[in-house]
Amino acid sequence: MQTLHPGAAVALILVFLLQVLVFSHPLYLAGSFGVIFLTIWAAGGLKAMKNYLKFALWVVLVVLAINPLVNQSGNTVLWQSPPLPLADRLSVTLEAVLYGAVMGLRLLNIVVIFCLYNLIVHPDRLLNMISRFAHKPALIISLSTRLLPVMAASLNNIREAQQLRGVDFSEGSLKKRLDRYTAMLHVLMISSLEDSLQMAEAMQARAFGSGPRSVYRRDLFRPRDGLCLAGSIFSLGATVYCIINDLGSYTFFPQLGSLFSNAATLPALAAVLSGLTLPALLSWGWNWCRYIRLKI
Amino acid sequence: MVPLYKVENLTYYYPDAPQPALQNINMVIEEGEFLLVVGGSGSGKSSLARLLAGLLPDFYGGRIGGRVLFKGRDIRHLDRRTLAGEVGIVFQDPEKQLVMTSIEGEIAFSLENLGLPQAEMFRRVAEVLGFFGLTRHKTDFTATLSGGQKQKLALASVLAMQPRVLILDEPTSQLDPAAAEEFFNLVRQLNEEMNYTIVLVEQRLERCFHLADRVVIMERGQIVNISPPGDSAAWQVANNFSYIPPVAAFFACLQAPVVPLTVKEGRRLLNKYKLFPEQEGKQRVMPAGSAGKGPGGRGVPAVEVKGLWFTYPNGREALRDINLHIAPGEFVALMGENAAGKTTLLKHLAGLLKPWRGRVLVAGLNPQKVKPRQLARVVGYLSQNPGDYLFQDTVEEELCFTLSNLDLPGAGRIEGMLEKMQLTCCRGNNPRDLSSGERQRVALASVMVQGPQLLLLDEPTRGVDYGLKAVLGKLLRKVAAEGTAVLMVTHDVEFAAEYADRIVMLFDGRIACDGPKHEVLCSSMFYAPQLSRLFQGICSSVLTLREALECMGKREIYPGDCGDSMLQEEKERDEKYC
Repeated sequence: MQTLHPGAAVALILVFLLQVLVFSHPLYLAGSFGVIFLTIWAAGGLKAMKNYLKFALWVVLVVLAINPLVNQSGNTVLWQSPPLPLADRLSVTLEAVLYGAVMGLRLLNIVVIFCLYNLIVHPDRLLNMISRFAHKPALIISLSTRLLPVMAASLNNIREAQQLRGVDFSEGSLKKRLDRYTAMLHVLMISSLEDSLQMAEAMQARAFGSGPRSVYRRDLFRPRDGLCLAGSIFSLGATVYCIINDLGSYTFFPQLGSLFSNAATLPALAAVLSGLTLPALLSWGWNWCRYIRLKI
Repeated sequence: MVPLYKVENLTYYYPDAPQPALQNINMVIEEGEFLLVVGGSGSGKSSLARLLAGLLPDFYGGRIGGRVLFKGRDIRHLDRRTLAGEVGIVFQDPEKQLVMTSIEGEIAFSLENLGLPQAEMFRRVAEVLGFFGLTRHKTDFTATLSGGQKQKLALASVLAMQPRVLILDEPTSQLDPAAAEEFFNLVRQLNEEMNYTIVLVEQRLERCFHLADRVVIMERGQIVNISPPGDSAAWQVANNFSYIPPVAAFFACLQAPVVPLTVKEGRRLLNKYKLFPEQEGKQRVMPAGSAGKGPGGRGVPAVEVKGLWFTYPNGREALRDINLHIAPGEFVALMGENAAGKTTLLKHLAGLLKPWRGRVLVAGLNPQKVKPRQLARVVGYLSQNPGDYLFQDTVEEELCFTLSNLDLPGAGRIEGMLEKMQLTCCRGNNPRDLSSGERQRVALASVMVQGPQLLLLDEPTRGVDYGLKAVLGKLLRKVAAEGTAVLMVTHDVEFAAEYADRIVMLFDGRIACDGPKHEVLCSSMFYAPQLSRLFQGICSSVLTLREALECMGKREIYPGDCGDSMLQEEKERDEKYC
């Protein structure tokens, strides 16, 4: 999965993201979560996903707890509080509880999509792909990414140097402390400007800006990339069909709608998800089926 | 045949500079030649390198007279892309040359700039990755590479452009000895096996002097001598220059018929001419007094470390059971490979890191239990980059800043410190406008002005030329003689051998050995200075040129007194630096 072409990987991520943002139907969101889970599993990222979920589940619990209390819509009242001093009675409705649960599921989906993105899209390979269309912005991003840890280390060195010259960053009023931090940033800025001149010189010596550039393509486009991309495009088409025919939405208020209100709900769901399961299936094939391995 | 380079009557001024950086330069460089350029700070070495790379005046601007012909064509009339494809340059600091996030992307960056087709780029990237043994690391993040790997990558990305000339501007100044050795081996391979023309500007001469076909000596923007290494060594000794490795300096002082450039050649010459000390065949040991012990043992110890352990948050054990005692006035060099824990130990003494286990006392104070201001009064810490200390408008204000933070009176202290550091003449200058040597002295003055009892220095000789090293070394000895304990992290074996009293070697977070410099360095295999290796088995306590000459009883063998002339030259140099 990590060797998937960045174009195919980004297409997969974008289609997943589009679906969880536009669909509100619980089955669709649950289905998406299932397919993303399978893809992460295929990418060997269950441990990483666990770390993401540790944080996300707490947020989901907060949403589940707060939403029914602040959302008073819905006809099916599950519990009503005694009269409150400054407000009316609080009602907890089934519709609000389920709405909160589905919103929590959507949030979980978004978190696991980011987890999948980190697992299968290498930022450098993505940057290489972008540089074909916009090489200057790609270069700026690359330079910034590279220089960020360098500058963080420089800032730490400057802070230590100042501390050993008697600067106490934890002492004095807020204004005094701000002044000390400003002096520290001042040193960093002067040093960075000096460094940038040397960087520019090195780039000029390597012919940067000497004429039209070409772009080095590092990634091969293999059959599996084509299949995954085709799957994502198919799924995107199915998603657009669902949006037009109002198949991915669900009515929560004032009363919960039927999960299968439309006969096309399940076939459309299958179409939406089928294209996106291809990467996980191909990964399984790569590991376990010699024939598929030879073909992709 | 047209020479590769022909420089004719060239004079160059940087924008707004009253003095020329290069003056009346005339030289010819043939294809496949290995040229070593040496000289002091501000002598014009780097300007010459930039000139040959076509960066002067193209990148910097300024005024230029005369011309540089590259393969018979004026370099200024060559298209920049064509020139970049023919001449590659690698600079001092790899950190300021790398642009991309991955190794493969970095190498390809140069080729993309040349506008090469994909197939050609792929072939070149693959070849270069293979040659440098980087194929398996091609996707690694460049920011996480070690200094040696970064410089190797900078060289690889220049070589991918397949230039015919490789210009290297102090490429090993930021590297430890092992990485520098590896880098020079690569350069030698490129010159000998691939016929690359090499122009190398370098300060660490013991590793590259013998590789050169000719040595160019520069002073005040002018070339004062160009000759093969052996002749250059003899000329330098006769003319009071010191840009020669210790072995060559030693034999040039002895006026030997041939000046050897390596320990092997030197040893052969010693055997051939029976140049042994009087007690031939026996080990001659220098008197105990020459070991240069410091005035230790007085009062409260400057450093007392007992059972110190430290582990970084990523789980790496950086220090393991360190026990160290440094007396006031001792000058100690802390040596060892990269990541051995040297800087970590220094930071514990400076109170910047908290021990996991064990006790650290600095001048009787626990650095973790006193306020930073209180600690700063007793500890001066100079990190690897003097630029981290300089942000005031003048040198004087830089010193005032430290004193005002510590609520110390300025009168007298600033004057005294400026005088001691030979900075009185530039007290009103902006520190950032000074030369690298002066900058370093300003940074040192800014941590010394409060009169610390312990001075901690992290690789103070990195990128510093021979002349400035001598000035710095003497300054530190003076500071130590006044009672301040000096603990210096360094990879510079020759500097430690010349000026320190005691050597502490760290290995994998533990102290591998600790003792007087003669005891530690003379018995070491890889950390022995050149002259110590030359005299191994002959005279067991030789570390420096002076000791080697004393050991030889030189005056009875050869006429002349070059030892004294070199000392005289050092004196003149000290005076020159202000």
